[in-house]
Amino acid sequence: MGVSLPTVPRGEAGFFTTKLDLAVNWARQNSLWPMPFGTACCAIEMMASAASKFDLSRFGMERMSFSPRQADLLICAGRVSYKMAPVLRRIWDQMMQPKWAISMGACASSGGVFDVYSMVQGIDTIIPVDVYIPGCPPRPEGLIYGILMVHEKIKGESLADPSLREENPERVGRPNLPDGVIDEIAKPFGNSTTQNRVSGLVRTTALARPGDRNP
Amino acid sequence: MSPRTVEYLVSRSPELDDRGRPVRMPVLPPGMEPELHGEHMLINIGPQHPATHGVLRLVLELDGETIISCTPHIGYLHSSFEKLGEYRTWNQIIPLTDRMDYLAPLIYNCAYAMAVEKLMGIEVTERCKVVRVICMELDRVFSHLLWLGTTAIDIGAFTVFLWTFQERERIYDLHEDLTGARITTSATRIGGMMADLPAGWIETLRNFVDTVPATLDEVETLLTNNQIWIGRNKDIGIISGEDAINCGLSGPNLRASGVTYDLRRDRPYYDYETYDFDVVVGEHGDCYDRYLVRMEEMRQSLRILDQAIERLPGGPINVNDPRVILPGKTDAMTDMESMIHHFKVVMEGVKAEPGESWFSVESSKGELGMYVVSDGGSKPVRWRVRGPSFVNLSALPQMVEGRLLSDVIAVNASLDIVLGEIDR
Amino acid sequence: MSEKTFEGALDDLEAGTAAGSAEPARGGEAGDADAHPAVRALRERFGEAILAHTVMAGDEHVVHVRADRNVEILQFLRDDPAQRFDYLADVTAVDFGGDRPIEVVYQLWSIENRRALRVKAALRVDALEIDSVAALWKTANWLERETWDMFGIRFRGHPDHRRILMPEGYAEGFPLRKDFPLRGRFSRAEQTRRALSMTVEEHYSAEELAIVEEVKRDTSPADSGEGRPAS
Repeated sequence: MGVSLPTVPRGEAGFFTTKLDLAVNWARQNSLWPMPFGTACCAIEMMASAASKFDLSRFGMERMSFSPRQADLLICAGRVSYKMAPVLRRIWDQMMQPKWAISMGACASSGGVFDVYSMVQGIDTIIPVDVYIPGCPPRPEGLIYGILMVHEKIKGESLADPSLREENPERVGRPNLPDGVIDEIAKPFGNSTTQNRVSGLVRTTALARPGDRNP
Repeated sequence: MSPRTVEYLVSRSPELDDRGRPVRMPVLPPGMEPELHGEHMLINIGPQHPATHGVLRLVLELDGETIISCTPHIGYLHSSFEKLGEYRTWNQIIPLTDRMDYLAPLIYNCAYAMAVEKLMGIEVTERCKVVRVICMELDRVFSHLLWLGTTAIDIGAFTVFLWTFQERERIYDLHEDLTGARITTSATRIGGMMADLPAGWIETLRNFVDTVPATLDEVETLLTNNQIWIGRNKDIGIISGEDAINCGLSGPNLRASGVTYDLRRDRPYYDYETYDFDVVVGEHGDCYDRYLVRMEEMRQSLRILDQAIERLPGGPINVNDPRVILPGKTDAMTDMESMIHHFKVVMEGVKAEPGESWFSVESSKGELGMYVVSDGGSKPVRWRVRGPSFVNLSALPQMVEGRLLSDVIAVNASLDIVLGEIDR
Repeated sequence: MSEKTFEGALDDLEAGTAAGSAEPARGGEAGDADAHPAVRALRERFGEAILAHTVMAGDEHVVHVRADRNVEILQFLRDDPAQRFDYLADVTAVDFGGDRPIEVVYQLWSIENRRALRVKAALRVDALEIDSVAALWKTANWLERETWDMFGIRFRGHPDHRRILMPEGYAEGFPLRKDFPLRGRFSRAEQTRRALSMTVEEHYSAEELAIVEEVKRDTSPADSGEGRPAS
């Protein structure tokens, strides 16, 4: 599920709308108030980014908004369990448009090391994500790079495009294939996202370690 | 729960009664008085909340501001480490241990390696012992600095957070030099360490140990005799020694209640009995004592670090046991037997004899127990982590019931919990 | 190092050992009761309820007891002036797989005597019930809840027998059992659907909802005619 960037042809936008877009985007990107949805180790790196050495305040982001109603940028830092998923969804729904989401770290982006029964395999199954930051945990510089990518994304936005501010999750972004086809493709691998011999459901000629507990 | 009326003096020129005192006027016309039932309110703190130190959810039943009951709900970060451990070889579990207590990862790395080495009957080298003691004490300071910063920020003192995080950056640099990662260090291996200390690391560490007391002193001048700090922490969240033992509290929480139980003294490992340090014990069992105990513990850890740096011996860092340690790269590339040895250790994993072992260390949060059960294979049958914060948190309700709402935040902060280890 | 040829080593790996078919090797040596004063006292007092005593990993004394007498034995260990195991470090369980009994493990420590002891009680897989020791140590409250959540072992007499780590309505089973697959029984899509449609009852316990019900009852419109103060 991703948000597609608008393609407003240059000729169609008027002078005032583009200048307005420039001004609005500049204001939005330089005063993002992050909503730190920190759950685990990545949250500590996020706190370190906010502290003196890496200092998010130079991006106008020192005002961490713990109330989602006043926040622009949800930074999901850390692994999210299925028990936490409705909370994340509700926090995202409570945020006002315009809003962006950063999935910080491997666990938030794809489940990370935790391909287990209780972990959400990527928060993009719960909320629409704008920028994914890999790392376990990503360094503060990595988080800042991700934030700068959000800035770039905001720069390319236009007020004229309503699809950017789409609230209904069913219309935000859909996978390319229909659900039935996806289920068919994924069935042999069970729940495994690693899709290798260790999944246990696919027999290959690779060596099995003696006493291997097939997951 | 009888309804009460509220009466205020609202008039500028009030009516005076025969004794010259104003007659009290009701706010609302008679017949419209509000009924102030004293029913209890149920509020929910978290799981997404700045002051819960992670994804902890507290459901409080309040009567006004007084807490009638407090129920912690956990499990919002349950990542099934223990189940995952059953599908990973002994060495592959080490990166998992970093992610449980991400505030003191080296302690977890060391504790797990020590449990498996006990199971396998491996005695690590002298150098490795001292290096692990250095790692554990360094991470104790690391964790307490974060505790200090976040507790201060919860009570309202933002500056301390910035100062402690600046000091923690120096420890992050030490972690990175040693292992390549700031937080998720994975520094130990069964039978030794991932790598020996890099050149110059000990000098940087010595510089850190010599200069950080100045920051601790600065923080003390800000907090220790600060009336706001004392008012928010003194006589709050009291738990007696017997209750603390019965609740299974450990670490600074237990010692602040007057119980002298420190695993480094009572179940010593790695020659802790030969180091010269004091076990810090409080008396009242309130938040203020827990604060004082942790501050002093940091200084004692610096003392141990000093001594460990002095006595660091030379020699190999990994034990010379072919069951667990890979042969050198040159040997593996040139000598057939070494190559087979390398192949077997990597492909099959390190094998442990059948048996089990429980090893507990004094982590920054309390008694960290690692229980490993093996059936002779390269993966554990059961890997159990007795996380100190799990048990410490279960004592929270009895420490806050009857107190005020803002005390919940102070007590929660003073327990120094980390949700990764609670929810595992 | 290996005396075999390289091919031999590879053959070993491919053939492997049959995992999980035979009794798992348990390790440890038979314990000498005199080596640990608590074990000697237990044998004298409880006799045949003490099934075995082994020593694991060199110095860890483990006592296997009959599961139906666990509370008595643990109470004796806690209260007897010579034992004083006042600190319950851990309560957990071990599932060996197959149909082997699941063992409930209690780690005890005596703060004044500086002694440790591990007490184990084996439960048959079709009869996973044991008495709770939450009345003896408050520590056991949450630890037993976790053991229930992860293994499905019922603790009779536990004051608050609910899941603690998994959500209350978790329908896939008991995760740490060996027959529970690592990635769960439902597909990821189903797990996500269930997570996002959790009801209020799954977030709050019955007592908490009762408080809310009481408030709603007290402040409902039908009530407003009562209890007017005399003005």
